Amino acid sequence: MHFDPVANMQLLVSGLAFGSIYALVALGFVLIYNAVGVVNFAQGEFVMFPSYIAVTFLLPAITVFGTVVHWQLPIVGVYLLVLVLMVGFGLLFNRIAYHPLRDRGWMPVVISTIGVSIFLRNAAQMIWGSQPIVMPSLFAVDTISVGPLHIRPQDLLIIGVTAVLIAFQFFLFERTTLGKQMRATAQDRATARLVGVRVGRIVAITFVYSALLGTISGLLVAPLFTVTKEMGALIALKAFAASIVGGFGSIPGAIVGGLAIGVIETFGGFYISSAYVDAIAFIILISVLLVRPQGLFGERVAEKA
Amino acid sequence: MRLDRKNFLATTGAAAAGAAIGFPAIVGAAPEPIRLGTIPCLTGSNALLGQQEHEGAALAVEEINARPDKVYGGRPFEIVEEDATNDNQSAVSALNKLLGENVVAIVCPVLSTQIQAMAPVMKTHEIPWMTGGTAVKNTQLGVPGMFRLRGSDGITGAGMTNFAVKDKKGKKIAILHASDAFGVGGADQIVQSLKKLGMEPVANEQYPKDAKDFTAEILKIKQAAPDVVLMYIQNPSDTAIILKQVHSLALNVPIVGSPSLGNQTAMEVAGKDAYGTYCAVDFIVGFNSNVATHFLTSFFRKYHHLPDVGTGSGWVYDAVYMLADTYKKQKGTDPKQTIASLKGIKNWDGVLGTFSADAEGNMVHSVSIGQNQDGKLHLVKKVSG
Repeated sequence: MHFDPVANMQLLVSGLAFGSIYALVALGFVLIYNAVGVVNFAQGEFVMFPSYIAVTFLLPAITVFGTVVHWQLPIVGVYLLVLVLMVGFGLLFNRIAYHPLRDRGWMPVVISTIGVSIFLRNAAQMIWGSQPIVMPSLFAVDTISVGPLHIRPQDLLIIGVTAVLIAFQFFLFERTTLGKQMRATAQDRATARLVGVRVGRIVAITFVYSALLGTISGLLVAPLFTVTKEMGALIALKAFAASIVGGFGSIPGAIVGGLAIGVIETFGGFYISSAYVDAIAFIILISVLLVRPQGLFGERVAEKA
Repeated sequence: MRLDRKNFLATTGAAAAGAAIGFPAIVGAAPEPIRLGTIPCLTGSNALLGQQEHEGAALAVEEINARPDKVYGGRPFEIVEEDATNDNQSAVSALNKLLGENVVAIVCPVLSTQIQAMAPVMKTHEIPWMTGGTAVKNTQLGVPGMFRLRGSDGITGAGMTNFAVKDKKGKKIAILHASDAFGVGGADQIVQSLKKLGMEPVANEQYPKDAKDFTAEILKIKQAAPDVVLMYIQNPSDTAIILKQVHSLALNVPIVGSPSLGNQTAMEVAGKDAYGTYCAVDFIVGFNSNVATHFLTSFFRKYHHLPDVGTGSGWVYDAVYMLADTYKKQKGTDPKQTIASLKGIKNWDGVLGTFSADAEGNMVHSVSIGQNQDGKLHLVKKVSG
């Protein structure tokens, strides 16, 4: 196979776009893990459910509970509405799936998140059916062509929004009181409580923030994926792997891990074989863990241990 | 309770009254329902296909049970449904559960990979197995009573290849397929058909299960500079996403696909990106019999959407009606007798066409090549196996 700079550029854009989505979802995993010490297995449904809500309000006609509804609201308004609704969803998730079990160790909470994940997927099938649904994009054109290069504007949007969110995240954690309280809660909840941090409120905010990260991921990727009840689970699996590669609990690790998995699987599929692309990703995962069991940026895992 | 005269009279009186009330019900007891097993993939990433199977079976059973004589002698069908979900292990578990439910025949899931996983269990039960799985191997697994109600991948693969080479004058053929049993089996059929024409594919790419980004596969195919691309894919959602990416990566050559390209859902989801593509399908709306027209009308009336006839609901509807006709003719549901009767099926009219059983249990021996013109499938030609 000859070296083709145009193909490589297209692979890079696509790999970074999908890697960005993995990174955002991986961040959701890591933030909740840091705040409450458990993996939230419903993180994928934080991607799927808001996507369904968005298409319900966006499309000229959609079947909900077997009845055709016609909302067709403006796209930006729908995005804002979904974000607001998902704030409530994050709070509710915290109150139902985590809060009642918070003093019973990690296992009941993990099982609770798995339960919510299954419930949401079944609820989605019951509400919207099994048909894949197309979410309209913000862009009027599907592709921007520059000479032989064909790039999807949605890919560029994903990369751009992810970059802004990562910058916002660093600003939040390094420069704001809220961010410092979140970090303090992540490092030692008891001490944070002693110095006056309202840990319960910070945990609730963390769930809301993770839900919003999932929502943004869903809104970004749905025009490429189609909306199905499985869409979140597929992303969450890769994002979980990404957060382990990066070092579970590490925010830079989640970002680097997500981007790395996205880019490696795209280039691996092209240069080695797309049939073994998942195997390639997991060989890399195992190799990284053999060399650095704590992951690429994994100091925090050691601290937690 | 003490049984004095008063109590005795009250008890016997009540018993007599009960017997009198119940008597007609005992004499005219409802005929025993005929329990028919189905195993659609109701959950998981192929839930759409499962839903379509469920709808096809439910419609047929509703219509048959509304007839005065129902299946025969007043006996209605009763569907016993188990979820095959999305993996082989669950399909086998669902099958084992169903086999304990006293069913007289089973309509299998449409996924060939699940049928092949279930085969060792199926071999031990001599009942009719009605399948829409198109992998050639499905009817060669040594399962007694296996009947396929759709064109096999052998017919479809050869039809697609011949159309690409002879009609579209393709000299460089590329293949893109799913990595499941359906995709691999179909791609093998295309490679064999190309070999018969003295050709080899210039690219043969498969994508892993649950993939959503196909940039690598499409770019590899683009690098091989084919003049026709053949796609062998089962999942309608995958099909639609691939067509969108083919369009956005400017792979501007004729596309000829397996039946999922003509799937109603795939065509709706892909929209303009599917315009101009060709596919080998079991069924094209507008080129059908009275049976098919009745099916389309009834389906729309019941579900308020168009059916995915070939890949989804049509073959299941045919399977249920074929069993009903057989039971009616033989006035019984004995599985061995039913298998023998089904083996003798000749020129039976169903939604997907005219069915005749061959020695392997294949009932359909032709498929149609259609073209998506502005979102509607138009017949190009019929191809036979």
